[in-house]
Amino acid sequence: MTKLLHKYWKTAAMAASSYVGDSPLFLIDYLLRLLRVIVLLSIWRTILAGKGTVSGMTLDAVLTYTLVAEVFAAQLSPRTTLDEVFWNGTIVGRLLQPLGIFGQFSADMFGRWLFEFSVFSVPLLLFAPLLGVSALPAGAGAAGLFVLSLALAISVGLAIEFVFGGLLVLLQLPHWAVSQVRGAITTLLSGAIVPLALLPQGVGAAFAWMPFASMASAPLQIYTGTGEPLELLALQVGWSIVLWPLAHWLWRVSRERMVAYGG
Amino acid sequence: MAGNVEPGTDQRRRTNDERAIPQNKHRSSFIVRPSSPILRRNIWRLLRLWKLYALLDFTFLLADLKLALTWYISDGIVNLASVTATLLLADRFAGIGAWGRYEVVFLLGYATVVSGLMNMFFGYNVLTISRRLGRGQLDHTLIQPQPIWLSLLTEGFMPFSGSPMLLPGIALLVWSASRLSLAITPGWLALLALNLAASSVVVLAFSFLWGSLAFWAPRAAEEISSSSIRLLYQLKGFPLDGLGSLLLSGMLTVLPVGFVAWYPCRALLGLDPLAWSRWITPLAALSFAIVTSWIFRKGMRYYGSTGSQRYSSLGHRG
Amino acid sequence: MEALVHNATAASDIVVELRGVCKTFRQKQRSERLRDTLRTMFRPPIREVRALQQIDLQIRRGEIVAYAGPNGAGKSTTVKLLSGMLTPDTGTVRSLGMDPVRDRVRYVGKIGVVFGQRTELWMDHPIAASFEWKRVVWDIPRPRYERMRDLVKELLGLGEFFNSLTRELSLGQKMRAELGLALLHEPELLFLDEPTIGLDVLAKRTILDFIKDLNREQRVTVMLTSHDMAELELLAGRIVMIDHGKIAFDGSFDRLRRDVSDQRRLLLETANSTPPTLGGATLMKSAASRHEYTFDATQTKIATLLEQAASQTQVLDVETHRAPIDEVIADIYRQWQR
Repeated sequence: MTKLLHKYWKTAAMAASSYVGDSPLFLIDYLLRLLRVIVLLSIWRTILAGKGTVSGMTLDAVLTYTLVAEVFAAQLSPRTTLDEVFWNGTIVGRLLQPLGIFGQFSADMFGRWLFEFSVFSVPLLLFAPLLGVSALPAGAGAAGLFVLSLALAISVGLAIEFVFGGLLVLLQLPHWAVSQVRGAITTLLSGAIVPLALLPQGVGAAFAWMPFASMASAPLQIYTGTGEPLELLALQVGWSIVLWPLAHWLWRVSRERMVAYGG
Repeated sequence: MAGNVEPGTDQRRRTNDERAIPQNKHRSSFIVRPSSPILRRNIWRLLRLWKLYALLDFTFLLADLKLALTWYISDGIVNLASVTATLLLADRFAGIGAWGRYEVVFLLGYATVVSGLMNMFFGYNVLTISRRLGRGQLDHTLIQPQPIWLSLLTEGFMPFSGSPMLLPGIALLVWSASRLSLAITPGWLALLALNLAASSVVVLAFSFLWGSLAFWAPRAAEEISSSSIRLLYQLKGFPLDGLGSLLLSGMLTVLPVGFVAWYPCRALLGLDPLAWSRWITPLAALSFAIVTSWIFRKGMRYYGSTGSQRYSSLGHRG
Repeated sequence: MEALVHNATAASDIVVELRGVCKTFRQKQRSERLRDTLRTMFRPPIREVRALQQIDLQIRRGEIVAYAGPNGAGKSTTVKLLSGMLTPDTGTVRSLGMDPVRDRVRYVGKIGVVFGQRTELWMDHPIAASFEWKRVVWDIPRPRYERMRDLVKELLGLGEFFNSLTRELSLGQKMRAELGLALLHEPELLFLDEPTIGLDVLAKRTILDFIKDLNREQRVTVMLTSHDMAELELLAGRIVMIDHGKIAFDGSFDRLRRDVSDQRRLLLETANSTPPTLGGATLMKSAASRHEYTFDATQTKIATLLEQAASQTQVLDVETHRAPIDEVIADIYRQWQR
């Protein structure tokens, strides 16, 4: 087990250090993200100014929601290098590694998270007061439940990632189309940008039942104390139970097609 | 292509002169000006090349019905998703800030048309130029017997596969304009067209400006123009009136999100008190174009001296 | 192949001239350890690679020049300089009477470039579409284009897959199409950077024969790089060898063999399985009654070896030939490394 963990750790470390291989220019990406969150915060202030509590959310709660969504952006929408690997045909090489396929992609993803978390997410959390936003959770209990909900969100997100990957191969779809659609749908339906509670009545409620909402909306609601934790956690567990077997099944049936897909 | 006969004496004299020059002077002239015959034919070439790439785009889609359907459906979903959030918010709150519901729809329509124009004219990673530069694919452009600007202006032309965003954008513009009781005159339409073109130039210039970083750092900057474009697209559909002055200045200069849709729409809808506000976006486009051209040329000179140290065929003509 | 009439750069017999060309690249050095990588993120150590050092080279019209050297010697850098993609740090590059960079647009209309590891073909379109694209972008008059298209289709055997998607073709088919594409505009000068990499024997022969015919009939000047020495020897009359950015040899293959050593092979078939001991020759392998030796023909005469063999055993058959050029080159590379 230790050896196996060491292998995954090495994979993660390689992914983390790949950022610094060329030039520090990639840090500009984080600057752009910071700018984006500042603009979003201003837009919310414009929309909700003087409106008090809207669908159980105050302006402060929405601002915290938006900031925390950016802090944990990668975790709330987990993306591996799966579609790129399919496209350039290097999936064959991955299958030759003595590691589980889900495990190696996940390890690679965690490695990239390590770097991003230390360089962007933690500083953003610490400097939130400078942006006029409280980054504190709704309470100690909320903080603990948030950690659990975040772990479940990652689980649901990864399962969706592998489900899409399996569908990509099974249906022989162009990877860029699937990636674009997935990104667009996830952004809208997960509640990462616009809290589902602020959408027109009925629309938000409908979105809340979908698996995408378990990726972002659920943990963010728990963090800001604007949702029922037990209900949200139960939904996340339910989607994990449904999606992981589906992901495994899709990969099993598409395994042979996988090596012929793409480059 | 007809060959050119060069007098042998000219060549010998030039060779003798260059022998005396130890440091190569070519580095500063890597951006070459094409010879006169090609320059004169450029407009005609532009049209011919657009026709060529339009045909390639059309045959690409026709070759595989599943691919064509996937393309249009996926673009449709992406398009819908990109405007839905803002539309729903505008509906829920009867507008955003000082913008009424249909003014927000007009803004979204304008922004979508700009995205559509970008998709249609600058596909194949031309818009996200940092990918081409970072992956060492510029060499493919350099071995074509035409100016680089002509290649970049035409290679990305995808009028069929790139149009899914354009048409819904136009539909949103038309619908919202009808609800807003705007005085649609030929002059106003001309200004709309000018501002749309200007916004497109701003987006292109911005992408090339950031993308030029890939000349100096190919790997790190490979995705930088797609990151910066993504930011523009994520924020393009929001009214920016509530931003502080410092932040707003940034949104109109360093990160010109404001010129993608917000400012030109303010001007066209008469929300801006300045009389000549309708000309500001075109002026901004010109300024961005000049700055970007200068940076890109610097990058090309640097590229001429270092070449590309990596090559990846990912995304090149396929 | 019929002689084709087209306007060509007249006058000078020298089509390619490099004088005092130097080119240096800078490579950032990174550690495999995360700690060190973070420490050197902003100011990494730089290693300078002197890709070309004072290169002087001339190529005459109609020559086929093999440009060889170990990996990292500077071959691709030279091809890129001559293709107009790079500028030299010092020195001058003239080709077809032009500066490849300053006169790029006009210059690339007269050259053809094939990179073995890159393609100019459109992956999601048939070969025919890529050819049509070339016609428009290179502004090839239609009658000339149709003549050249039909010619390369016939000579390179492109007809059977001309309307197939590039993505669905084998490597050999793609390379043949790539070569055909490069020739559509009747270039005067052709740069082939590893054009037969990864190809099977038949595909290689097709391409090599085609290049030879092209050179013979149309006096197209060819500069090609390859690691396949046998292929280069078949094709080129002249070999330029580059090592660590400097020209180490420039001459014919025969002179190369003589200058380095005249290694020969001697195969003996004897009446018994014991290989005879030959002074001045080294036994390479022995199987049943066939024995293969290597010797330096400048030091040892064949007659002497045969006398020795005959005195030890009954010699049934004799065969002698030159050492494969690959081995000659490998010996040279080993010497350079010392």
